[in-house]
Amino acid sequence: MKKAILYVNQFFGQIGGEDKADFAPEIRDGQVGPAIEFAKGLDAEITHTIICGDNYIGSNTDEAVAAILDMLKDKEMDLFIAGPAFQAGRYGVACGTICKAVKESRDIPVVTSMNNENPGVEMFKKDMYILKGGNIASRMRKDVKVMTALCNKLLNGEEVGCADDEGYFGRGIRRQVWLKEPVPASQRMVDMLVKKLNGEPFETELPIPELDRVEIAPAVKDLKKARIALVTTGGIVPVDNPDRIQSASATRWGRYNIETADGLKGGEYKTIHAGFDPGAADADPNVITPVDALKVLLKEGVYGSLHPYFYSTVGTGTTQAEAQRMANEMVPYLQEDNVDAVIMVST
Amino acid sequence: MRLELGNFHVRDIAFGDTLAFQDGLLTINKEAALAYIREDDRITEAGLYIARPGDNIRMCPVKEAIEPRVRPDGRSIFPGYEGELAQAGDGVTYALKDCSVLVVGRHWGGFQDGLIDMNGEGQKYTLFGELNNIVLVADTNEVFEQREQQKKNDALRRAGHKLAEYIAGCVKDLEPEETEVFELEPMIKRTSDVEKLPSVVYVMQPQSQMEEMGYNTLVYGWDMNHMVPTIMHPNEVLDGAIISGSFMPVSSKWSTYDYQNCPNIKALYAEHGKTINFLGVIMSNLNVALEQKERAALFVAQMAKTLGADGAVVAEEGYGNPDADFIGCYVALEDAGVKTVGVTNECTGRDGQSQPLVTLDEKCDAIVSCGNVSELITLPPMDTVLGELDALARDGLSGGWADDEILGPSVKADGSIIMENNAMFCGDEVCGWSVKTMKEF
Repeated sequence: MKKAILYVNQFFGQIGGEDKADFAPEIRDGQVGPAIEFAKGLDAEITHTIICGDNYIGSNTDEAVAAILDMLKDKEMDLFIAGPAFQAGRYGVACGTICKAVKESRDIPVVTSMNNENPGVEMFKKDMYILKGGNIASRMRKDVKVMTALCNKLLNGEEVGCADDEGYFGRGIRRQVWLKEPVPASQRMVDMLVKKLNGEPFETELPIPELDRVEIAPAVKDLKKARIALVTTGGIVPVDNPDRIQSASATRWGRYNIETADGLKGGEYKTIHAGFDPGAADADPNVITPVDALKVLLKEGVYGSLHPYFYSTVGTGTTQAEAQRMANEMVPYLQEDNVDAVIMVST
Repeated sequence: MRLELGNFHVRDIAFGDTLAFQDGLLTINKEAALAYIREDDRITEAGLYIARPGDNIRMCPVKEAIEPRVRPDGRSIFPGYEGELAQAGDGVTYALKDCSVLVVGRHWGGFQDGLIDMNGEGQKYTLFGELNNIVLVADTNEVFEQREQQKKNDALRRAGHKLAEYIAGCVKDLEPEETEVFELEPMIKRTSDVEKLPSVVYVMQPQSQMEEMGYNTLVYGWDMNHMVPTIMHPNEVLDGAIISGSFMPVSSKWSTYDYQNCPNIKALYAEHGKTINFLGVIMSNLNVALEQKERAALFVAQMAKTLGADGAVVAEEGYGNPDADFIGCYVALEDAGVKTVGVTNECTGRDGQSQPLVTLDEKCDAIVSCGNVSELITLPPMDTVLGELDALARDGLSGGWADDEILGPSVKADGSIIMENNAMFCGDEVCGWSVKTMKEF
């Protein structure tokens, strides 16, 4: 029989309530708490249960993850399960964190469950199967049943259906499927049209993600007095990339002083952006981050003054959420220095 | 306008002494048919084959599909293209149903050409896997484009259209098994029962992106790059006014067969007088420059508004750049107060995580989605290949490749293949056949 291991928090691990939330991770032989419910239908033996306090993993994430991965190191395991976490925010984040770590280190399927209000959903839904769970623990039996159904498909190598059919949060992956009932597009079109015309509810087959449009800012009133800053998503960094900004799907950014430079020199700066041929930008970083031209224009008095740093990250593959967070981290520096306008340079 | 489509259902096809249709059996004199095709001296090599559902046959590079038809009154079935200009969509046309003429390159393929399997896992990817097909496999002296990725395929496509009319000639004097009637009263002369229903236009966006002539969709022989949107009667589309072009990545293509049988038009016809008042077709296009896209959207919205349309359906033949036309037209219609539904395919990348269309808008809240051009498909070898399978890998077909670091070449030594859905001949069926949709995983 295949083998599975379950992760639960201190409460479901029967250690205690909030007062035991600092409980450091432990591994127990056999089935504790929800594991007994899972065991009823799972096509695998739950050989161990890992228990960890929600506060412990929340405040000592790296240590907790390392300790748990160490506990799992010598264990045979075909599947890793965490939760269900219901609406418990810290528990949900813990389930997502440990599932992601196990998936990356062991290359086995991981499954968890959360309520849609759980912050762990947004953080981890693209990384794993998170089943749509109830909001309170009384939904345990129901949530475990849904989780077990998906777990068994994964254990038996069966095809996993789409998010709506299986009950997990969509992972942002869209694929074509053949409809079980083969209604041709022409008929689906007419059905949708008649409903829309009659003001009845209808369901689009291509939901448009909510677009976050930013209004174009009013023009700078007096450029001659304006303080200007330079921000780029073109990945221009000092050659040793001191902030370890990723070459794609960036989550980090850096700012670099240009107070005394006339421009950016090849050899001192380069691009770490993986989305284009870096040849021209490495030879002359000013082609992406035009410090040279801004210095000339400054001397000519075209604009008032230049903010002493340029800000850099990598745009390719970077999610909108991460981009927004990084921008929010940059903005206070710009505001503090009374920057009037930013030149945003892409690639 | 009243179109009577007299149907003859083809249950099987055989080669024999004379071209004839009897009791569902279509018999073709192969040599006579090929001699007719060779009258075009551009054709250097030609063979004729039969491919039925379930046959162990793979075809590539497929260039065009046509339903065999003939007009008993002698008019051309493709007026302004094969014969004299005449009104399409009015009168009597005979059609061989459940049957198509396919044109396959003997050697050379291109971006716009595709693949059809008649058996196994691959059969479901195209409509033509389900039809009785007369397959013309031929080569031409058009050496100027032999090694071009974009091909006009003019000699081969015309050979197919001619062959379709030639073959259907055998039913010219026969009595059809059934007659379908397509008739719409003039838009402003309809009964009050019909007029009280919400009125609807069908907006078609056929491919017209090439600036050089010879590649684009034709309307009565006219290159659709050179038109602004206009009103057409749906019967014209169903009766040979439109000839498919030779440009798009082929899973997005609407073949001439698809125009002749356009399911979206037939579905709107079926609802006419019941739930909607089907006004007709606004024939738009898909040109490449932004101003041309905006001009087309402006014309479409204006016409819908002028006609007093309550609703519209927009369908695009393509993905990528044409998404801008599709979304632009959809938004223009919504802004004009016309409740709109879109029909399209998507391009979400091999990992399924890319934005489905190159541009999106919240106003596009009702879309029927027909497939994913970038889906990877692996298929086993077939006993018989009509054409030249290497074309899939060698000639820049939209869903094939010569080599890939991870996946290797599209065509393996044993004849098995790996390809993107992109190269499935007319596979996404945005014209309305598609029983595929897109789901989030």
